[in-house]
Amino acid sequence: MMNPLKITRRDTATGPVLHVVGELDYDQADDLRAELDRLSLDAGQCLVVELAGLEYCDSTGITVLLAARQQTRAARADLVLAAAPPHLLRILGLLGLDQVFTLRPDATAATGSADATGTGGSTGTV
Amino acid sequence: MCRAGGAPEPADPGDETDGARMDAAFTSLLEDSAEDLYDSAPCGYLSTMMDGTIAKVNATLLDWLGLERDAVVGRKRFADLLTVGGRLYHETHFAPLLRMQGDLRGIALEMRTAGGGRLPVLVSSVVKYGSEREPLLIRTTVFDAADRRAYEEELLRRRRDAEQARTEAERARAEAERARAEAEEARRQAEADRERLADALAVLQRSLLPDTLPELPGMEAAVYYHTASPDQLGGDFYDLFPVDEHRWAFFLGDVCGKGPQAASLTSLTRYTLRAAAHHDPEPAAALTTLNTVLHERYGRSEDPRYCTVVFGILEPGGDGGPTKIRIASGGHPPALVLRADGRAEFLPTPGGLLIGVLPSALISTAEAVLAPGDTLLLYTDGLTEARTGPTRESLYGEDALHAFATALAPAAPQETITALNRLLDGFGDGLDDDTALLALGVPATRSHSCPATDSP
Repeated sequence: MMNPLKITRRDTATGPVLHVVGELDYDQADDLRAELDRLSLDAGQCLVVELAGLEYCDSTGITVLLAARQQTRAARADLVLAAAPPHLLRILGLLGLDQVFTLRPDATAATGSADATGTGGSTGTV
Repeated sequence: MCRAGGAPEPADPGDETDGARMDAAFTSLLEDSAEDLYDSAPCGYLSTMMDGTIAKVNATLLDWLGLERDAVVGRKRFADLLTVGGRLYHETHFAPLLRMQGDLRGIALEMRTAGGGRLPVLVSSVVKYGSEREPLLIRTTVFDAADRRAYEEELLRRRRDAEQARTEAERARAEAERARAEAEEARRQAEADRERLADALAVLQRSLLPDTLPELPGMEAAVYYHTASPDQLGGDFYDLFPVDEHRWAFFLGDVCGKGPQAASLTSLTRYTLRAAAHHDPEPAAALTTLNTVLHERYGRSEDPRYCTVVFGILEPGGDGGPTKIRIASGGHPPALVLRADGRAEFLPTPGGLLIGVLPSALISTAEAVLAPGDTLLLYTDGLTEARTGPTRESLYGEDALHAFATALAPAAPQETITALNRLLDGFGDGLDDDTALLALGVPATRSHSCPATDSP
């Protein structure tokens, strides 16, 4: 049942992009947490988490995404969830988190724009 | 025992010529054979007077002992040829017995060689008597027992080795027994620890969920709690309690994550909501308080914690009056009402946010009126997120739940819980999360009070 979580990272002009593939659940969410711990974000940068390959996300996975949000806010950086698949969008909607995360249809749109709070998807309310 | 060496006994001669030649050969062999047989026999011979003085001794024995004939014959007694120990044994046992019995066979003694060495031997002696039965002399044969002694020593050594091996095996067995006893003790200890832990978990679990539900005047309540893994504390919670003479508070929720961390959050959430409800029973106010507490407690920590909750206040209408319900939700799946007329409807609470994420809560509220025969159902997403197919995409979902409730309605709380319990059982392995269900309803035919049921 369980597919391993694969995380690859690339650095762009606007900030790091984490490409997350697999299942983000109780057993594997720590891998993403560890990857986030290794990031050093500068103020004004934008961390993009690219989620097109995300197959599953449970409440622990949601917690890690919220931790990433906390981490970027502490660094006065931005967080964008790019290409979130429908199942994740449904859960984010249920939890009201579509009001909290900045969502973009794809990573290119997220990094291509110098203005990280541009259009596309829902914008953060806080 | 002593066989004549080198000189076969003469056989019956053959024909005359050959016989004569054979006879001559045997004769030549036999001529010196008596003397040679005695002197060169493979065993020692000696004859002594009755006092032990050596009268005759063969070369074999002299050779063994490294002695000259002249130094022995007429000069030494048999006992002089023995070691001190041998001499002692000869005087106290050998000689008296020999005199008494007239012969002795195969007695082990030690002789002393000229070089100071010891020669283990087996001695047999016979007394020769005269015509008047008077003892004349003693004839003695001596066999070199060095090899035999070596063999016996080897046997002894083997026996000692075997004995030692047996002792070691015994010790190893004792050690194995002790190790087994220790392992058994460790196992019992582990078992005791496990039981203590299970007891502690059970006590903690009871602090997370009410033991029994209180009796609701004019209403019925039923709950069900499904634990995904028996050795994990639950991450779902519910409660039902009076806030004043006319109103009851209830809540049901789900903390993010699993295990002890989730359970500690469950505990904090339950008691915060209870306290908040007594302070201000307005549903949105209770959840706002909870959000403030969680955000203040975990908001800046490395390990933030969140939960979804639906919190409600229920005002029984009294005789015939409608029962009013007001609920508030923070990111929780919508409550469901099973109507007496057979419909089922969600109470949507869109826009409510997971509790603890933001410093100021986003709470969504809804209201409903329960008529006789109506049942309010609260559930956690273990129910709607249960897998119904081989992949994680095939989830049970809210639409299926709505259809199920529509088919079931009208249904009293216990009937609703029982039907959902069967539904959950049907999910089998697809149900991999804790699931809590709470149903509150007004009996279709009003009775004064129905006992609460619960089956956590």
